[in-house]
Amino acid sequence: MGQIVLDKVSKSFGDVEVIPPLDLTIEDGEFTVFVGPSGCGKSTLLRMIAGLEDLTSGAIAIDGEDVTEVPPSKRGLAMVFQSYALYPHMTVRKNIGFPLRMEKMDQAEIDKRVETAATSLNLMDYLDRKPGQLSGGQRQRVAIGRAIVRDPSAFLFDEPLSNLDAALRVGMRLEISEMHERMQTTMIYVTHDQVEAMTMANKIVVLQAGVIEQVGSPLDLYHKPQNVFVAGFIGSPKMNIFTGPEAEKQGAHTIGIRPEHTDVSMTEGTWKGTVGVAEHLGSDTFIHVHNTGLADMVTVRISGDISVKHGDDIYLTPQPDQIHRFDAQGLRIE
Amino acid sequence: MSDRKLPRLLQTPAVLLLLVWMLIPLGMTLYFSFIRYVLNSLRRPEWTSPSLSNWRGFGNYEFVLKSKDFVLAIQNSLFIVCSILFLTVILGILIAVLINKTFPGQGIVRVLLISPFFVMPAVNAVLWINMILDPVLGLQGIAVAGINDILDGLRQMPLLGGFSSLWPEFEPISFRATQTSAIAVIMMVTWQWTPFAVLIFMTSLQSEDQQQKEAAILDGAGTWSQFRFLTLPHLGRPIAIVVMIQAIFHLSLYAEIEIVSRGNGNKNLPYLIGEFANNNIGAASATGIFAVILANIVAIFLLRMVGKTLME
Ligand SMILES: Nc1ncnc2c1ncn2[C@@H]1O[C@H](COP(=O)(O)OP(=O)(O)OP(=O)(O)O)[C@@H](O)[C@H]1O
Ligand SMILES: [Mg+2]
Repeated sequence: MGQIVLDKVSKSFGDVEVIPPLDLTIEDGEFTVFVGPSGCGKSTLLRMIAGLEDLTSGAIAIDGEDVTEVPPSKRGLAMVFQSYALYPHMTVRKNIGFPLRMEKMDQAEIDKRVETAATSLNLMDYLDRKPGQLSGGQRQRVAIGRAIVRDPSAFLFDEPLSNLDAALRVGMRLEISEMHERMQTTMIYVTHDQVEAMTMANKIVVLQAGVIEQVGSPLDLYHKPQNVFVAGFIGSPKMNIFTGPEAEKQGAHTIGIRPEHTDVSMTEGTWKGTVGVAEHLGSDTFIHVHNTGLADMVTVRISGDISVKHGDDIYLTPQPDQIHRFDAQGLRIE
Repeated sequence: MSDRKLPRLLQTPAVLLLLVWMLIPLGMTLYFSFIRYVLNSLRRPEWTSPSLSNWRGFGNYEFVLKSKDFVLAIQNSLFIVCSILFLTVILGILIAVLINKTFPGQGIVRVLLISPFFVMPAVNAVLWINMILDPVLGLQGIAVAGINDILDGLRQMPLLGGFSSLWPEFEPISFRATQTSAIAVIMMVTWQWTPFAVLIFMTSLQSEDQQQKEAAILDGAGTWSQFRFLTLPHLGRPIAIVVMIQAIFHLSLYAEIEIVSRGNGNKNLPYLIGEFANNNIGAASATGIFAVILANIVAIFLLRMVGKTLME
């Protein structure tokens, strides 16, 4: 079990209101991701749920029970920190067993559980090493192991992969997703990497300056961004967004078109521009187009390879059913 | 090879200086400890200048070993050093943890706490033995007299009088006596050196990782467990440093012992050396060699112990 309900929670540090009152429900077993730009309050929100940070107002309930005043260790949550926060003087075995030892569980049971967790995380060979003797990925696993043994009702992750290199990040991402599939435990995952958000989440919460901009499934956010911020934040490369006459032609204040929803031709099309930098990824090509009169730069994405040179003329045609329209307040027009 | 020669060459002056610095005094001490050498002697004037012809072999060592004060001096050295180490480390950790929290007036409290360290040892000893520990004029004498006055007053009272008269008069303790002078030295040096321990532990506490603490809180560790499993291991190395440095300093305590009791019942090795050095340089040198050996044993033993118990 692990349904978490935030009821008008808010947080101020001194006079600065970092999170204005906010409501959110995280269903049992859901993989929820908080994304948003740096400093938007993701970590603060997560720490409030964990109990490491007091609420300025509002209430938090876990499985229907008000835990606002309950100390962190009694909330039944486990957290994995960005810096891993392993205990440097203890072996991996002791690290993983520490929460159980604090529960005064008997040693035989602790050993059994630690071994089970270590086996599932491929840590059996490292049980007697200290954290200082492990690689980043192994440390991350130990931190996860320490969370798993407690059998928590929900896992909280604060940018757990941001200290790993790209290849390892992809691997760990899969492992965590797989862990979620297996255990079906509620997970809340903070990241500013939107690839992580899109690939792992059942539900994404997009935050900006402590305010929830949109909550929805990854594809919801991709296909139906509720406002300009979400439209620009979700998707890579970023959606092209412009105002002006082209937008008014569509009956909107602002329109957006994703790079992958723009057709390209060297001879004819709706908008004309000149090729800037072309990034060849092999499977895809990103072309940055200038002088379109729409915005400083328009990015398009073509699958496969195309031979264009810097300074060539190029014509762009948006796929009409893929144009997102927003009103003057930045809200989506259906 | 040649790329190693230059650094070696450049290090040479420093290494040479260090060798000279250490080896010459040590060599002279060794030399003197094997010859008869006294500052003045009417019967044997030839002993008053150091010379190989006065060779005595291990005679000086035998003389020192047999002298009645030697065992006492070794015991006392160890007793004083170990007590001070124990007290300063415990007090140092307690105070450092206490003032590591932010509170108003933190700056002043920290400066005040450090200040005993800047008092000269001899002044420290004079202050303690005369103004604090003196059985008549010191704070101790005044406090004991005050308590006795109150007890006297109670005895005069009608009802409680009978009960109070069962209580004895309190006697002030004389800290210059044979049995207590070592205690006085331990108290004053502990007072002076606790700030040193506090200073070192405090800097170390400030570098403690806060996320580890938060992780421990989530893992269900209370204040004591956090202290025991995170803070104490984190302090392992600073504790080793404090213990080592203090052991070296306190094995050579002199001023305090001289001022408290003139070594009466409370000699340590340096004091014994001082006594021999009034005339018998040979015996003083032999005692010095014993002191060097003792210091090395203590250092090795302490390093092992601190290393083993805390790094777990
Ligand atoms: N202890 C604190 N005292 C004062 N302000 C704080 C404190 N902790 C965080 N803040 C402020 O709260 C805001 C949100 O911080 P938070 O750490 O939650 O951001 P974040 O979304 O996790 O960012 P990042 O992606 O960079 O980790 C920031 O503007 C930060 O300056
Ligand atoms: Mg953060």
